[in-house]
Amino acid sequence: MCGIIGYVQANGGHATTTTATASDGGVMKATGDIIHEGLQNLEYRGYDSAGIVLVGEFSGLTITKQSGEVNELDVPDVADATHGVGHTRWSTHGPPTDANAHPHTDCIGDVAVVHNGIVENHEALKAELADHKFTSDTDSEVIPHLIEEALAVDPDADLLTAIQRVEARLEGSYGICAVREGDDRIVVARHGSPLVVGRGDDASFVASDVTAFLEHTRDVTYLEDGDVAVLDTDGVEILSNGEPVDRGVERVTWEADAAEKGGYNHYMRKEIHEQPESLRQTIAGRLAVDAGNVDLDISFPPGFLADVEEIQIVACGTSNYAGQYAAQLFEELAGVRATVEISSEYMFGAGRSPDQTLVVAVTQSGETADTLGAIRRANAAGARTVAVTNTLGSTVTREVDSTEFIRAGPEIGVAATKTFASQVATLAMLAVGIGRERGTISAAGARDVLEDLRGLPGAVQQVLDNEDRVREAATEYGDSEAFFFVGRQLGVPVALEGALKLKEISYDHAEGFAAGELKHGPLALITPETPVLAVLTTGARPDETMNNVTEAQTRGASAIGCVSTDCEYSSLDVAFNVPDVGIVEPIVANVYLQMFAYHVANNKGRAIDKPRNLAKSVTVE
Amino acid sequence: MSEELVTAVILAAGEGRRLEPLTNRRPKPMIPVANRPLLEYVVEAVAEAGLDHITLVVGYHQERIRNHFGDGDDWGVTIEYVEQATQLGTGHAVLQAEPVIDGPFIVLNGDRVVEPALVKRVAEATREGEHPTMAITTAETPREYGVVGFDGEHVTEIVEKPDWPVETNRINAGVYGFSPAIFEAIRNTNTNGELALTAALDELTDKTDGVNGITYTGRWLDVSNLWDLLTVNAGLIDTEATVVNESRVDSASVSIAADVVMADSVRVGPSVTIGGNTAVGQNVTVEANAVVENTIVFPDAVIGAGAVVRDAVVANNARIGSNVTIEGTPSTIVIEDTVHHDIELGGVVGDNADIGPGATLTTGAIVGDDVETDAGVIIDSRVAAGATVRRG
Repeated sequence: MCGIIGYVQANGGHATTTTATASDGGVMKATGDIIHEGLQNLEYRGYDSAGIVLVGEFSGLTITKQSGEVNELDVPDVADATHGVGHTRWSTHGPPTDANAHPHTDCIGDVAVVHNGIVENHEALKAELADHKFTSDTDSEVIPHLIEEALAVDPDADLLTAIQRVEARLEGSYGICAVREGDDRIVVARHGSPLVVGRGDDASFVASDVTAFLEHTRDVTYLEDGDVAVLDTDGVEILSNGEPVDRGVERVTWEADAAEKGGYNHYMRKEIHEQPESLRQTIAGRLAVDAGNVDLDISFPPGFLADVEEIQIVACGTSNYAGQYAAQLFEELAGVRATVEISSEYMFGAGRSPDQTLVVAVTQSGETADTLGAIRRANAAGARTVAVTNTLGSTVTREVDSTEFIRAGPEIGVAATKTFASQVATLAMLAVGIGRERGTISAAGARDVLEDLRGLPGAVQQVLDNEDRVREAATEYGDSEAFFFVGRQLGVPVALEGALKLKEISYDHAEGFAAGELKHGPLALITPETPVLAVLTTGARPDETMNNVTEAQTRGASAIGCVSTDCEYSSLDVAFNVPDVGIVEPIVANVYLQMFAYHVANNKGRAIDKPRNLAKSVTVE
Repeated sequence: MSEELVTAVILAAGEGRRLEPLTNRRPKPMIPVANRPLLEYVVEAVAEAGLDHITLVVGYHQERIRNHFGDGDDWGVTIEYVEQATQLGTGHAVLQAEPVIDGPFIVLNGDRVVEPALVKRVAEATREGEHPTMAITTAETPREYGVVGFDGEHVTEIVEKPDWPVETNRINAGVYGFSPAIFEAIRNTNTNGELALTAALDELTDKTDGVNGITYTGRWLDVSNLWDLLTVNAGLIDTEATVVNESRVDSASVSIAADVVMADSVRVGPSVTIGGNTAVGQNVTVEANAVVENTIVFPDAVIGAGAVVRDAVVANNARIGSNVTIEGTPSTIVIEDTVHHDIELGGVVGDNADIGPGATLTTGAIVGDDVETDAGVIIDSRVAAGATVRRG
């Protein structure tokens, strides 16, 4: 999902302008900064690259674009810039590189274009433009070259007439914004992809979403399909079939936050609820249930898996807990020793044969600096490396030998939710695949696991259907002094993840333990003010875990349990039912813990999507 | 004067109890037909009519709606949500939109599929006129709807579900155009504690130029009862829309009719037959030798080997055991004390229900969500949610 913002100063001539509602009392803002802020407002759409073109009467076009954070985009100081256009790109096909970032230009660099959508006939158009020089692998780049062509064939053509001509050639859906050197206008066209025009007192805007410029103006006009609009110092003119039309002006009354999140208060809650859908994407086309095998993209040299002695998983935070879950599956299903390392601590230790070691990096963003460092150390040692990530074209995919994508879709909330579930599901499929290759699991055994995975989206939906009960529990126990999460076996990583989720968004003291460890120390912390949350799923030794929970209850603590359908523990204060899906039940139980963390934090009014001191993708070591 | 923007208010807060068990976990507008929720067809009709601002009135299980539609970007529209916390009638639902409406607007039902052309006509009439506009269509069973008196230009009366003989087959199509003045009219019409939109309109019909009527003869798909889903599903399946790209079709022995809609992540075993008017949702598994025909299969469901499923609705994550038969002859079904005759419905299986191997569902069996049955049982009536059906 890409984002577009365009900005034109009214009255012209000045390189800076006051924003209509600047909270700091009308500080002069540069054109580049206004566009950059617009891009930041569009961050929620997900992005992996960004770019800006600034246009000045004397300076011409100044383009800056790169893959990576919008924040890191270094906006040049162009003193005479009066207008410009920005773009955030989220690659779905093809890598996020500096070259593929928008804006794109024609051969001579006179025309710059940003584009949202797909040009379906770009290959045919590209063939037609054989004598043009293309610098990216995007479909979008044909547009500036077509404009260049249109300007060349007709000496009377200007940016507007050129775009009207080019528009007739494009098939697919698009929103386009174009600028040209020596032209004081932005020309935009809408076909299928939304574009909205903002009419401020001292500036005009265009964007793929009003949130991009809502701080500057609330008077907007929604363009219709086929509309072409011209933004200049005099305001906005909209054309339909070449004739001016009046599309009216509407006043936006809602708040930016709600518009972005589809009515949810927080991305985190939205993303928790997206899990059935994202898990379906994760497993789509990968489960060959009848054959008792999986279809993965990842590949290994012949004979490598048969001889592999150890799988080392390197990851941080939530991804590390997904790794801990997976390590147990690798040992159980693939019959290979598996260890989990915290990326920043990872060294390729002595006593291992590099050619018989597989190092698996688990990172949502694919940019986690600590994990990239670990992978580089593994590569240097000569080990075989693979990545499990959510982000196409991310750095980690270039560092490893092979990659499997978790396909969870963009995750905006800093607290990882849906990506944890998809990471575990992906790693479980990998464990089955390696197990089948090594002959450590039968087709029938694999089939059981695959049927569990197949049932995962439906099971998670059942848990989401119980959100009201979780909210009640969060309200009743949310004001406690501390929270302890316990489990055994596959329940341990989930207990750790449950505690991490709560502490990172509610700022409450929360700790996860292997249940057996409770009595070796932490029990001293248990009081009537410290509820215990337990993962009591079949296969994760629930009876023994329940014994430890009872020890805590004896000291006055309340107990909340996530319990499999075939178990019953009547002494729990709250019991949440976990549907029967075998080895992935703890992942389903985790959804209860996610909702518990969310509602505890929400009741306390925390900044759930951007907890203090934390960033989504940690790109520093 | 410039063209005023018309907002579309879509009512999607209701429970739809007559469609239990399918509405136990989702609002009625989110029931999938031809693999997409009913509400999506309504949103699309609005978008195609050129209106790009939608206010969704949500309530019951609203997270399902918010999740699916988000901010409307995927449909090229802007969607805003308002909440109707308690269900106090359609008039009350419309009142919830009052704070965000400041010009002419149209109102549609989130579970009734109409053509973009109608939306456009009502929107245009609303943009120009000051009086309320109401779309009128015809039905074979007018007494199940709001029966409308119409003089060719204005609506003369609206009678909700009359239990006496009626002279006309004209009914309220459930698409309206209003100015903000309607809010006051609704507030002034309190009937039986519920604020019914039609009651407010009926009062306005007495006034000069009271309520304009727009007659409509195009596609009008209404889901009143469970079996209507199959009719609507068949109506919406585009014969061109068979999608089998990524699905796991295991052998050439699989037969899939042209009028089938399949999600891209469906797994299909060998020798499976998927007959006409069938929709198969994401992550569904149809095992070897199964036959599925004129059926809606929701996401995540599993149809076991050798099962025969005809004229049925299989909800999310339900498990149909091997060799289960779901098939019926036209029969009599009772829904909320109303007796319906000659209904062709093999059976309905609720969310997460588990039907044991070899079981038979027949003559309109309606199995609640989370029901578990033993192998070989025969079910021919309603089974309450969460029940266990034993053999014996």
